[in-house]
Amino acid sequence: MLGSLDIYADKINIEQKYSYVMERLVHEISVLAEFIDGFVRIIEKHVKYIIVSGFVAIAHGRTRGTEDIDIIIEKMKKEDFIKMHDELIKNNFECMQSSNPEEIYGSYLEDNASIRYIKKDVFFPQMEVKFAKDALDKYQLKTRKKLPMTKLDVYFSSIEMNIAFKEELLKSDKDLEDAKHLRIVYGKDIDETEINEIKKMIRRLRLNDKR
Amino acid sequence: MIRDKTHNEHIEKWANFVKTNPHSAWQPQLNRFINAQIENANRFYSELSKTEEGREKIKKLMALKDAKQNAGKNQGNKG
Repeated sequence: MLGSLDIYADKINIEQKYSYVMERLVHEISVLAEFIDGFVRIIEKHVKYIIVSGFVAIAHGRTRGTEDIDIIIEKMKKEDFIKMHDELIKNNFECMQSSNPEEIYGSYLEDNASIRYIKKDVFFPQMEVKFAKDALDKYQLKTRKKLPMTKLDVYFSSIEMNIAFKEELLKSDKDLEDAKHLRIVYGKDIDETEINEIKKMIRRLRLNDKR
Repeated sequence: MIRDKTHNEHIEKWANFVKTNPHSAWQPQLNRFINAQIENANRFYSELSKTEEGREKIKKLMALKDAKQNAGKNQGNKG
């Protein structure tokens, strides 16, 4: 299912369409921030969402590369997803997996696989979208926050949630550095008790720890 | 484990700079970094897409991304 090469066939004939990027270079606006804002302003009318992981650190000043932004959305009915997808398409987004929303829903989202949206004919950035799949994701959505330090009008999973995931589950160099950056930036405002509780949930729900 | 001592020091210094300075002091630098990265990636893929061989390479690169995503899909929060 995932990895079907044909789905990219119509994405590889892009011509030089950097104007989207270059305009932002001139105006000193982050391409990622503008891309996210455009996407979120549409989906927030249809579904509850959170931005998670790498971009949370980047939005707090972390200097590291990324080409995709991860978003978790509440599970939604197929007909509601199709309405949201159609509005994204009308606003110059396209889904890399398929142009058929029924297929996107049935073959990807319902299978807990992520889908990617891009601006039409521009490879990057990419928005990786997936359904909330368990109690931990539902908790992330329930405790979502706007984070004033980012100056972005979007919802993120909490700082504690991101630190816990990166330190307890993901653990790559990049993830541990993200966590370290967030810990320094937020300092004493971080709720260590909450981080420890989330880490327990991660061990139970994602690492099958039976203790 | 964080990579090495000097890299670790850089992470700490930059994070402290972000913590102790206004948004306007660090955001433009970060934006230039992010925008250049995205621009370079798009330029690279666009150049590749001009030939049949390049388009095949793009398919393989995108399939790699999918495979990575598929492998990590049980983790949920990643990035």
